[in-house]
Amino acid sequence: MIRKKECVAMLLAGGQGTRLGVLTRHMAKPAVPFGGKYRIIDFPLSNCTNSGIDTVGVLTQFQPLELNAYIGSGAPWDLDVSNGGVYVLPPYHTGKTGEWYRGTANAIYQNIPFIQQFDPDYVLILSGDHIYKMDYAAMLRHHIEHQADATIAVRQVPWEEASRFGIMNTDPEGRIIEFEEKPPQPKSNNASMGVYVFTWAKLRAYLERDEQDTKSSNDFGKNIIPTMLGDGCRMVAFSFNDYWKDVGTVSSLWEANMDLLTTPLPIDLHDKKWRVYARSFGSGPQFIAADAEVDDSLVTEGCEVHGCVKHSILSTGVIVEEGAQVIDSVIMPGSIIRNGAVVRRAIVAENAEIGAGAVVGGAKGDIAVVGQGVLVPEGEKVPAGTQCGQ
Amino acid sequence: MNDLMGLIYTGDNGDRMNELTALRAVAAVPVCSRYRVIDFLLSSLVSGGARNVGVITQKNYRSLMDHLGSGKEWDLHGKRQGLVILPPFLTADSVGVYSGLMDAIRSNQQYLRRSRERYVLVTDSGILYTADFDAMLSQHIRNGADITLMYSNDKGLLRSGSGHYMRLDEHGRVREMESSPMLPRFESVYMEAFLIRRELLIELTDRAVSRAHYHFTREVLLQAVRDESLKIYGWQNQSPVWRLDSVQAYFDCSMALLQSSVRRQLFRPDIPIWTKIRDEMPTRYAPGAQVKNSLLADGCIIEGTVENSVLFRGVRVHRGAVVRNAVIFQDGYIMEGAHVEGCILDKQVTVREGLTLSAPRTYPVVISKGTIV
Repeated sequence: MIRKKECVAMLLAGGQGTRLGVLTRHMAKPAVPFGGKYRIIDFPLSNCTNSGIDTVGVLTQFQPLELNAYIGSGAPWDLDVSNGGVYVLPPYHTGKTGEWYRGTANAIYQNIPFIQQFDPDYVLILSGDHIYKMDYAAMLRHHIEHQADATIAVRQVPWEEASRFGIMNTDPEGRIIEFEEKPPQPKSNNASMGVYVFTWAKLRAYLERDEQDTKSSNDFGKNIIPTMLGDGCRMVAFSFNDYWKDVGTVSSLWEANMDLLTTPLPIDLHDKKWRVYARSFGSGPQFIAADAEVDDSLVTEGCEVHGCVKHSILSTGVIVEEGAQVIDSVIMPGSIIRNGAVVRRAIVAENAEIGAGAVVGGAKGDIAVVGQGVLVPEGEKVPAGTQCGQ
Repeated sequence: MNDLMGLIYTGDNGDRMNELTALRAVAAVPVCSRYRVIDFLLSSLVSGGARNVGVITQKNYRSLMDHLGSGKEWDLHGKRQGLVILPPFLTADSVGVYSGLMDAIRSNQQYLRRSRERYVLVTDSGILYTADFDAMLSQHIRNGADITLMYSNDKGLLRSGSGHYMRLDEHGRVREMESSPMLPRFESVYMEAFLIRRELLIELTDRAVSRAHYHFTREVLLQAVRDESLKIYGWQNQSPVWRLDSVQAYFDCSMALLQSSVRRQLFRPDIPIWTKIRDEMPTRYAPGAQVKNSLLADGCIIEGTVENSVLFRGVRVHRGAVVRNAVIFQDGYIMEGAHVEGCILDKQVTVREGLTLSAPRTYPVVISKGTIV
């Protein structure tokens, strides 16, 4: 017998992440490694746990293998509880019907039976492409206090970037009066973070209605929210102005990693009261050899450094051989930088190997990317801004 | 598979390492940046197919209990089987304070009887090693042995006046054994771990304890080797080994682990070592940090100099501070300009600005948990 939950979280992890190029060729975007020992999805999952939300549905669609294996029973996030926990929800067929998730709203629509079994009062909708620490419980309280039908998390973005976001125009009490998707002339700089709390009964009715509309693209931003606004639903903004970074592109992913090398940390991952949890793989301690040089960097378990690492992030089990140089780069788990290779302003994905004397990236130009499992042969060059991978 | 269970004895070695073991069993002593001694035993057992592991505790076992929890980190939290902690338990059958391994096993014989596995690996926890128990079990079965003793030819295990040494014949059968000689005559050192059929262990224990024989090695093994009443074989463990019986031995072990070749032998890809995790952020090497020949766990922030040292989780080395030939346990705090050399700092030790703590390499000094120097 499943007991009632006040709030169930639904994490939209189905995006293809095409803007990340070779990095998402073999894995869903939320499974992309970040910050040495994390994956992007660790942030929303840890936020749920830290906010006291113990029931999370993760909606997957593309390349779910790595993500499923990573989530497993949910134990790393304390989400392996018997009443609730983490559920991976791929699209499925039921006899004659069944199909892929057509849009964000359709993904939730297809999982109405999943949500309904917890009979929740509220549903929290999250996306898996941002790095941030947020107390969803505070947002839920805000929603309840304002007797809202929907609460949308917003943050102030620089005016010049506002036209890239969904912009919420609010009255002085914080009630949303207008929503504009990527407006050329924004009236405010309150951008939607793609984090929503809905009163479940209300959302359910709108999802069902939206499904009937064959012209709808079944999307929260394009359809559900504008329709609810048009109907005069009570929709409020919840403002969040701490660190929040989109990691949907190669350059933003690289920048967000580099943010962890600034002092003070813009996002405190040392905070014992708000841990960001990650799955651990039983690697040994990190070893910095006698002839190594590690400066202004983050290094984690299982790494062995014999060469020079500057202003970079080394993930679990990375090996930097003698004479190799890693500068301004992100090296993802299990990769090896061979003797004398130079990696500069680059992202090297998981289990790649940079052959002896190879050169990846450069001092200037766009970020170079080496895909998962790729071997860059000895002496080969991967110029700045190029991506190499199958 | 699943025919092996483990029994780890953590009782006998309370006070060998001064302050390091004042508040914890040797099994719970932190080692190699992020582990406890018992992690190596548990992980080896799990890799060897054991799904049922009993841990016999005796004194100061709170730290050990805290570390082990439900056994989840070692995948020992199953419903049918898993980790079973066996604290002293005073009943008509159990004396609570054990006079030796035999006594401890007999006091926990209900657990042994209830278990289903055919073989049991019994190990003490004063020696650090990894082992391929699967290989040991195959050899045990191939030899038709009653008992297989794990041994090592590592000279580092030799001690004058303590330890057990044995001579094997060309078939690997133990022909002679001596206990605590001043001058060990044999180079094969018994590693305080043996493999036996579970039923036979119950029988031997009962027979020994009923005659007031409590020491397995001295009163059971030596006797059986002498009169050939049991077929006792040896299995050589090639893993690096350290007998953790003094502060110096602990320190030497820590320094040896700085050699990549030694670590590669101890941390085998087929035997991953699991431990309780703390979800620390990766370690931050600040601009200007100087780190050479050192092992570090996650969660450290290094602004100063660290050389030939082992740092556990959450250690902070401030600007201008120097840590050399030292071992610093969890959450150590080395403030600006402080110097720490040749010391072992237990958990949560703070060394204030500009202070110097220095000990010769041949006489490492331990600073107790929580001390502010």
